[in-house]
Order: sequence, then C-alpha cells, then structure tokens
Amino acid sequence: MAARWSSENVVVEFRDAQATAMSVDCLGSHAVLSGRRFLYMVNLEAPSEAPRKIGRQSKWDVGTVQWNPHRAESHMFAASSNQRVDLYSWRDGCGEVHTSLQGHTRVISDLDWSWFEPEFLVTSSVDTYIYIWDTRDTRKPTVALSAVAGASQVKWNRKNQNLLASSHDGDVRIWDKRKPNTAAEYVAAHLSKIHGLDWHPDNEFILATSSQDNSVRFWDFRQPRKYLNILSCQVPVWKARYTPFSNGLVTVMVPQLRRENSLLLWSTLDLNSPVHAFVGHDDVVLEFQWRPQKEGSKDYQLVTWSRDQTLRIWRVDPQLQKLCVSDVVEDLMDGMSLTAETEKSLSSQEPDSHHSIGPAAENLQDDSGGRQDSAVGSGVPQTLQQEFSLVNLQIRNVNVEMDAVNRSCMVSAHFGSHQVHLVVKFPAQYPNNAAPTFQFVSPTTIPSSMKTKIQKILTDTSLQKVKRNQNCLEPCVRQLVSCLESDMTQEDGPPSGPFVLSNPVTPALPAFPRVTNTYGSYQDANIPFPRTSGARFCGTGCLVYFTRPITMHRSAPPTEPTPRSLSALSAYHSGVLTPMKMRSESQSTLRLYSGSPTRSDKDTVSISSFYYKERKSRRFKTKREGTDYGNRPIKLAGKVIIQEISCLLPVHKSLGESYILNMNDIQETCQKNQAAALTVGRRDVAKVWALASAATNQDLSPDSDPDTETPWARHPFGRHLLETLLDHYSHMSDVQTLAMLCSVFRAQAPPPDCYPLYAHHPSRPAVFPPHHSRYPSYTSSSVTSGSCSSTSDSITATTWNTGRDSEHANPWGEPSPDDYRYGNQGYTDPREREREQHDMNKRLLDPTNMLQFDDFKKCYGEILYRWGLRDKRADVLKFASCPPEPHKGIEFGVYCCHCRSQARGTQCAVCKRLTFQCAVCHVAVRGSSNFCLSCGHGGHTSHMMDWFRRQDECPAGCGCHCLLQSTF
Amino acid sequence: MKQERWSVVEVSVINTVDTSHEDMIHDAQMDYYGTRLATCSSDRTVKIFDVRNGGQILVADLRGHEGPVWQVAWAHPMFGNILASCSYDRKVIIWKEENGSWDKMYEYTGHESSVNSVCWGPYDFGLILACGSSDGAISLLTFTGDQQWDVKKISNAHTIGCNAVSWAPAVVPGSLIDQPSGQKPNYVKRFVSGGCDNLVKLWKEEDGQWKEDQKLEAHSDWVRDVGWAPSIGLPTSTIASCSQDGRVFIWTCDDPAGNTWTAKLLHKFNDVVWHVSWSITGNILAVSGGDNKVTLWKESMDGQWACISDVSKGQGAVSTITDTQQSEQ
Repeated sequence: MAARWSSENVVVEFRDAQATAMSVDCLGSHAVLSGRRFLYMVNLEAPSEAPRKIGRQSKWDVGTVQWNPHRAESHMFAASSNQRVDLYSWRDGCGEVHTSLQGHTRVISDLDWSWFEPEFLVTSSVDTYIYIWDTRDTRKPTVALSAVAGASQVKWNRKNQNLLASSHDGDVRIWDKRKPNTAAEYVAAHLSKIHGLDWHPDNEFILATSSQDNSVRFWDFRQPRKYLNILSCQVPVWKARYTPFSNGLVTVMVPQLRRENSLLLWSTLDLNSPVHAFVGHDDVVLEFQWRPQKEGSKDYQLVTWSRDQTLRIWRVDPQLQKLCVSDVVEDLMDGMSLTAETEKSLSSQEPDSHHSIGPAAENLQDDSGGRQDSAVGSGVPQTLQQEFSLVNLQIRNVNVEMDAVNRSCMVSAHFGSHQVHLVVKFPAQYPNNAAPTFQFVSPTTIPSSMKTKIQKILTDTSLQKVKRNQNCLEPCVRQLVSCLESDMTQEDGPPSGPFVLSNPVTPALPAFPRVTNTYGSYQDANIPFPRTSGARFCGTGCLVYFTRPITMHRSAPPTEPTPRSLSALSAYHSGVLTPMKMRSESQSTLRLYSGSPTRSDKDTVSISSFYYKERKSRRFKTKREGTDYGNRPIKLAGKVIIQEISCLLPVHKSLGESYILNMNDIQETCQKNQAAALTVGRRDVAKVWALASAATNQDLSPDSDPDTETPWARHPFGRHLLETLLDHYSHMSDVQTLAMLCSVFRAQAPPPDCYPLYAHHPSRPAVFPPHHSRYPSYTSSSVTSGSCSSTSDSITATTWNTGRDSEHANPWGEPSPDDYRYGNQGYTDPREREREQHDMNKRLLDPTNMLQFDDFKKCYGEILYRWGLRDKRADVLKFASCPPEPHKGIEFGVYCCHCRSQARGTQCAVCKRLTFQCAVCHVAVRGSSNFCLSCGHGGHTSHMMDWFRRQDECPAGCGCHCLLQSTF
Repeated sequence: MKQERWSVVEVSVINTVDTSHEDMIHDAQMDYYGTRLATCSSDRTVKIFDVRNGGQILVADLRGHEGPVWQVAWAHPMFGNILASCSYDRKVIIWKEENGSWDKMYEYTGHESSVNSVCWGPYDFGLILACGSSDGAISLLTFTGDQQWDVKKISNAHTIGCNAVSWAPAVVPGSLIDQPSGQKPNYVKRFVSGGCDNLVKLWKEEDGQWKEDQKLEAHSDWVRDVGWAPSIGLPTSTIASCSQDGRVFIWTCDDPAGNTWTAKLLHKFNDVVWHVSWSITGNILAVSGGDNKVTLWKESMDGQWACISDVSKGQGAVSTITDTQQSEQ
C-alpha cells in the first residue's frame, strides 16, 4: 500500500542542466531537457545514464520544447528560443538543428505540434500573432492568426484537426485554421491570467484552463458564457492537464512563498479534493508529461522536471487510475479510506523523501509547517492552517504567533517606544464571508484614538477580503504596520537629516486602499507599463529626475525588455511570483506575457511588484549596511534629484543679468556686453560683441543721401557678416545672443515709422510670393545680385537713373512686403521711393526677416521672465516690432456682406465676392473708409463725406439714419 | 573658423528630494520658475514641495485619485498656481492653490480607461489641457471662466490607446512674414500624440474642430512619449518620439505648411524608452527608459545627434562630456 502512494520510482539529478523546459517523445524512450548551453537527451529506459548533449549557442533560454507526437517523425523536436523556433532531429545518439522558423517579432510563448499533420506546428507569441508553420516550407508561416493581444498558450485540438485554442491573459480564443481572420469563438474564461490550457483528450469541445485566479475551469466552447465545472484552489494554478486515462487531471500550483511543490491528481468527477499528491520535488515543478504506456503494461508514468534539477518518474498504477474513475465511496467500501490513506502516505514518505516534509498540523507555527497535508487532507480544506502555513510575515518589528488549533493568532509589533499587541480570532467559517475579530491586549502602549483608527482599518481590510472568500491575515498585518509607521513618523516630528518637512504628513491613507470599481478587464492591456524613472527639463536650467530606489534593480536580465502593458503585472498578483518568474531567478529569462487583457486585481498589485525581487535583496542590503534608511522596512519610492544643467545650455542667466541695451550709446552697450560675455567664458560671444561694436561705429553710420556712398550694410562685413553670425547662433540655439544682436542692430538703425502704417492694411497673403522666411536658408541669397532685378512696377523703374540701379534695386531679387506697400500707395515722386529704398538698404538687419528677429526677442524675453529678470525682458521687447501683448481694445473686423464669414482683404475667401463695397461708387473699399455702426453700410471716406454733407440717410437705401445713429 | 573643444562639464546636483511616497514615483515636474516640485506616485497621491534654495518643504499632499497617478503638469503661472494630474482611475484632476491651500478646481471623468498623459497648451491659447487616455481618445479641456470647462473630445485618436500628448509652441504657421505686425498673431493650435497603434499623430484645430493633420510612421511598437521641442523663433518644427521598441526618433519639418516631416533615428536602446524631454532652448533632449538611465543628446552644428552624457541614475555626481560651445572666429 505504501509503495503505491510513494509512487515515485525514479529520481535522477542533473545538477548542471539548468533546464527550463522538458519534453518526452512519443515513443517514451527519450526526454529532452533544455538548458541554456546544452540540450540533454535522457534515456528514459536508463535515466541514470549520463545524458547525451546537444550544444546550443544562444543567450536565450529555451521557452518551450516539444517532440513531434507522430511516430514517423518521432526523431524531431522543436524548441523555442526567444523569437525563433529551432527544429532538431535526433538520430542515433546525435542531434542537430535541422532548420529554424523565424517570423515572430517578440518572444515565443508556446508551441504545439499538430496531432493530425506531422509537419504542422503552431507557435504563439507576445507579438500578438499565432503562426501555423508547415515545416516543409520554413520561410514563412502558412497561416497567421492575428489576435491583437499577446498569447500565452496555444494548443491544437486533439480531435479536430482544424481547431486550436489560444489564451490571452484571461481569455481563450478558439480558432479554425481555415478561417484565420477572426477567432471562431471567444471565451472570457478567467478574471486573471491563464497559465495553462489543455484540450480534453476525447471530447472535441471541452478544454480546461488554469489561472492566476486560483481556479481551474472546464469549458465547452460552444457555451462560452458558463463554465462546465470549476476546481477552486487556494493558490494560483500553473498548469492543469488531463491524464491519458479517463477522468483524471493533474495540476501544478503556482508556489506561494512557502513552497508548494507537489503535483496533485484530481478526478474530474469529484473536484472537492485531490485523489493523490505526487510529493517529492524540492522546488518548483517546471514541466510534467506523460510517458506513453508501454505495451502490456497497465501503468502510466508521469515524468516531471523541477527546478531542483531532478527528473522524476512517477508510476501511476491501475488502482490509482481507478481513483479518478470511480468515486470515493467505492474506494471507501474497498476498505481504502482516503484520509487514512493520506496520512499513511505522508508518514511512509517522510523517511525516504529528500526534503523535510512538514510534520503535522499541530506544528503549524513552525516555519517549515506542512504544506501538502491540507491539500491531500480531508475533504474540507483546512484553510486557516493553510493560510498560516503560507503567510509571509517577514516584516520588520513584527512578530506573529499563530495557533491554528484555537483559530487565533497574536500579532506583536514594536515601533520606537510603542508596542502593539493584537489578538486576532478567526471564526469557524473564515474566510468564507466571516471576518476575524481584532482585539488589543496589554501591554499595548498606543493611545486609544489610534487604537480605534487601527481597529477600523483592520476591520475594513478584513471585510474586503473575506467578502471574496480570501484570506486576510497578511494584508491586515501589513495595514497595521503601515498605519503605525506613518503615525510614528508623524509623532516623532521631522526626521533627522538635511531635509525638513515643515508640514506634518497627513495621516496616511490605508496603505493599500481598496478600490471598489471593477475596471474593465479588456482595457487594462492597453495601459502602458508605467514609468518608474524619468527625467524632465524644468524651469530654465534644471533637470529633474526620479528613479527607482538605488537598491531596487529589476530581477529580469537587462536583455529582456520591460513589459509594455500594465497587464503584465497580473503575473505578480498578490506579490506572488509565478513559476516563470521563479525560473528567471535561476538565471534564465523572465518571461512576461504582456499585451493581453487581464483584470489584474489592483488591490494587491502595485507597479512595485514588478520589482519584487529587488525589495528582497534590498532588505538584505540594508540589513548589511544597517544605516541610512532608519526603520522604514521597504522603501518603494526613490528620490527625486534636481540637477543644475544650465552649463549645458547656450543661454546664461548671469549674462541675462549683466547684458545691457542702451539705445543712446550702442558703442558702450557693445563693449559692456563684451566684457560680460568674457566673465562667463563665452569668448566667442565676446568676439561677436567686438564685431558688433565695430559695425555700429559712428564712422560707418550711413549717409542719409543715397547718392553719396554704398551703405555699410551692403559691405561683405555688413549685413552679410551679421547674417552669417545669426545663422551660426541659430544652429547653436543660442537665442540669447540672437536676440541681443537683433536688438542692438535694431537700435542702431531705428526703422522709419512704417510698421504701424503697414499694419493698417489688410495683408494679402495669397498675393505674396514665397519669401525667404526660413532662417537657415536665407544665407543662400547673397549680395551678389548686381543687376537690376526690380520687380516693382516698371513705370517708376524706368524713370530711374540706371547708374544707381545696383544700389537701389532690391538686392534679394524678391520683393519685400514694403515693396507692396510702396507699390500700393503709388509714389509719385521717385526720389521719395528711392529714399525709402535706401533706408532699407542701410539697415544691417535684413528687413525681410524682421518678424523672425522679433520671435528671437520674444523667446528670449520668455526666458528672461523665467529667470525673474522682468526689467531686462522689457528692455529686449522694446525692440520687437510687434507689441508683445495682444491688442485688447475694440477692433473692427471685416465680415463679408454676402456670406457673413470673416474676411481678410478685399475679396471674401469663401464666396469670392468683394467683402466691403463702397455704397456710393460700388468699388471695393481699401484704405481710408467710414461706415455706419448701426447698419454696417459705408464706403470710401471721401464719398461718405460728400454724401452726408447733403443727406442724412444711408446711401445704400436701407433707410438707416446713419448720421443720427452713429459717428459719421 | 571654428574650433570645437570637448571638455568635461560637471553637472551639479542642487537638490535631492525625499518624497516619502509610499510607492513608486511616476512623474516629477517643476513649475515655471523652478521653485516648486510636483511628484505623483502609485500611492495615489500627488505631492508638492517647495524646493527653493536646496530645501524641501512639503507644501501639499493632494489626495483625490483612486488609482496610481501617472503624470502631473503645471500650468503657466499667469493663470495662478494650477496643477493637472491624471491617473489610472480614469480621472483628470485640476488642482489650484487659493490662499495657500490646494484644492480641486475641476475633476474630469470623461475617459473610459486610464488617463496616461496630460499637457497644458501654450499660454497664448488660455488655459487649455490635452489629456490622452487608454480608451483611445484625447480630450481637450478649455477653461472658459466662471469655473466652467469646455470639453472637446477626439474619439479614437489612437486605436487601442493614447499614451502621450505634447503641445506645439505657439508660432504662426507658414511664412513668418505674412503675418502683419501689430495685429494679434493668428496662432494655430497644434499638438502631437503617440499611441498603441505605433503612430505619432499631429493634430490641428481648424474652425474650432480638431483634425488629424499628419500621421508619422516609424515605430514598430507602442509609442510611449512624444515631445514637441520649444521654439526659439526658427521656422523648423521638431518633435521627439520614443517607443517600446527602444527607438527614439527626431522628426523635423522645415516646410512652412507643416506637411513634410522627416524622421531621424536618434538611437536604439535595449529597453523601452518611455520619456523624452526637451531643454528650454530645444537643443538638448533628455531620454529615459526602463533601464533606469537618463541620457542627454545634443544636436551638433552639422545636424548630427550625439550623446553628451551617460547618467547612471542613483549616482550623485554626473559628469557630462559636452561641446563647450567655445568657438573662435
């Protein structure tokens, strides 16, 4: 009898294998173990023989490995490694990579050989695609199924060659490979991530899913709304697979912090308690597979591979198989009381098992308390014991004594001078909607107001949990600790150190307050994984960055990217690491199936869960260093660091302070600014100021008579030099130098009062040809255009003395807006026009770019404002041609009189008619105009004046008495 | 004519703020003048510190969000002391300081999923906030006075979700010359967004309606952040975008109409890049990502981007190699 229960009959250790995956071939002769450096071929007939090795060169671990299940192809197996699948062939003790399948763009999460077509293999990946490959044509997949969400599992149906199922976080999709566009069926199976998926071996429509939400569910996918049956476990379920014999199911749990390394065998007919536990592994079971039945044998063999680096083969004899088929009563009648059996099995196993099995339920306080007894115990799980044995209470300053027999525990906490002692009593129904009671006992030293507060928080927390039939001891203790901590900090006043918190921190929220909203599971997958570090330029010269705490490093190797979606956190549900995560601790890759929807329970999962392992190592570190962080047990927020980076910027605050702009003495301005530039080490700018000083020298000031000499601006060292300088500083983004130069040269040659005049005219953008508006390019227009290139109206040009053409024609070969202005106004005296032209030419700053120069000044003004140098800002903005503040007074806009849309210019952009016609002459009005504020009619000022000299009614005939109504 | 010298510039840490957040920090931002620091965290709070003179004084501890708070944004001080925050709880909260105490000014609950990004528009447009959410929509909240906020929503701006928004500086589109001086400049409201459709999209307001202006494709995975570079008055527009695929692109447009954008790959990082930030003069880009590192990038005179620092976070002193801009004519 005992032999039957300790059915493990082979244990082989492969110390160096570091294998992450395992597969048993269809003949039952070989198992392949895939480590990072080698694939080990274990002969299952003689497993203790040294395994044969196949070397592999990859920095990636093998994700999944699987033998081809067809006898004819039994020498083939597939192994996924990051984004690639390698197909190996194994013949005569030698193996080699046969070919590779490449197509996925992110890590492959699962692969499965077809049960019907030996060449067909399906792969799923985080990249959201599921590919079906024909291994005879490996260039690309024959079928691509796009799932939008990343898949964690994919499995062919065992009975229907076209069907396959994939899992996407909490959902299952059923696909028909002939209809790859969309999933054939969609099952919202679980509220949390699905870790395992298995088709029923005999029924085409039934599958089992195992999930993070502590359950295995059985589905008929034709009825996707309701599961057929549910197996509730206390812990997340890693894999649940049907047995090759009828009605059996083997599960592996996601280990809680206390390990849970046994495999459980269930009868699908009675899911209340497992029929058997395969106890023996010291560490997480990574893979289990059934070895095909040998001819003539009635036994099945279960091959398991664990992170404890042992391969075990367990015999499942017909009697054990029968337990799954027949119900328990029958067995009891056979005289095999299940409970008795269990105890016996445990005791019989103890001597020969390799690890210390927890003694018995009485010793639950002991850290190494029994783990599997509750699982294989009597039909009703002893959930409190289980909780006690699983709870992780390694919290600083806290001691918890648990007494499972009396259903109570004593929590003692010491914080500074305060002590808290709390008795927690668990009612019999706990945790099924029955909350424990909390009672303070002496020598608790905290004030009673605090007690009341804590009491309330604890009650709330426990109720939240037990409502969902969840255990609440650990959350409650953590709440207590955070509550005490925040209050103690408050009481102790500002913590010692350089920083003083003047305001006391407001009483902490319960550290993990509950959100009752149920967030849609679907959309969590779309939420990007949050930033946990970052840098931002702020103010004018600061770089603010926030980091994860120094000691918090990601447990994932740097080669594995941070998950993109927040739903990846579901893997860290309740702070529990999944076996995948456990694998990652053994120097293998962290595999996070991100990108698929999940409903992660925000109550317990925090972003920091992703960095869970660091917390542990951190704790270890502080213990060792033992200094800086006081008694904060775990610190999740890093520091925010503010760096002064103004030395990297092309603008200098000290220059902003010392630069002057004295319109009356440009020479002095340049010299002082030169000195200022030298003091901050900007020798280049100092030289520029020297040049500016030279260029603004009185000797060079242009003559007012255009005939005397070529203005200095036209000299190569004039406008051209300045342009080159501006171009240079533009590339450097040195807006300070740009704005100052523009201001100085603007001051040196104050423009005629033309801008306000110009502004009265509606601009006509459509008429303007393109200008050299882009700064970097306008240097290309050189001063070399010596020929007459006047584009202004030819009548006046012809009257010019041709000898002066080269000086007076627009040297840019393009008209400036001013040309239009003059053109429009129609100068009758060519000499006047000539003088205007000369005014333009003698200015060192190209007037066509004036608006751009204004922008430099405005931007610099903005920076000065940030520096708090408001006077300096005003100094600079004086030289801007646009008033810096937008006009706030009354403004007359022109609305088209036909279509009522706002118009600019004389023609309406919408209806193409004249916007404002003179009521007298019916010609479009431009320039001086008058109109009635009441009826809106009006026209040329001269016409209006004439009309209203004699009349007092509107010339348009609308009957409005314009003179009485308005301002004519 | 010009000699560029390379030298090591010490970037000094002027303050280290211990925020006492109970969970991880997701954003930290200083106000316009650099006197206050706002931080937000998974512990559902937003904290404001006075950080003048290297000190740290907790000014406010803003509680109101029911989920992790992803981002904060300061409004221009001409509107008062206003801070916007967005959270997993689908809410955007606008906080305002009145008489020394911070209170909710407005709470926007119009999104159906986590709100991932908030950004205030240039002050020329008044108080206007863009919010990008995982429900795929972008909301534009405009303060219309009297505690009223006008809401415009661009539905399905990014399929699957919008991860980041950033406003264009207020510059006049097209030729800078066409604009007659003396008139109120006719600024066009524009912003850029990035999302889970791997796209960077540019938006423009026309006649009061928001329209998709451009769609920039280059990333092969979710776009995590976008940043429109501040303008110093040059007509080139520049945008930085970063992605889950580890790539950072610099997009530039010289075309006055804003139609032709060219992408330049700044760098391919090994892990997700989730934040880009421009310096005030728009010539340095700070890039940060999942590797907990910050790098600073600068465009050289010939238009090439070079890393001028490799700041390993968590270490106090940072030395930066930089072109010291000393050139001699």
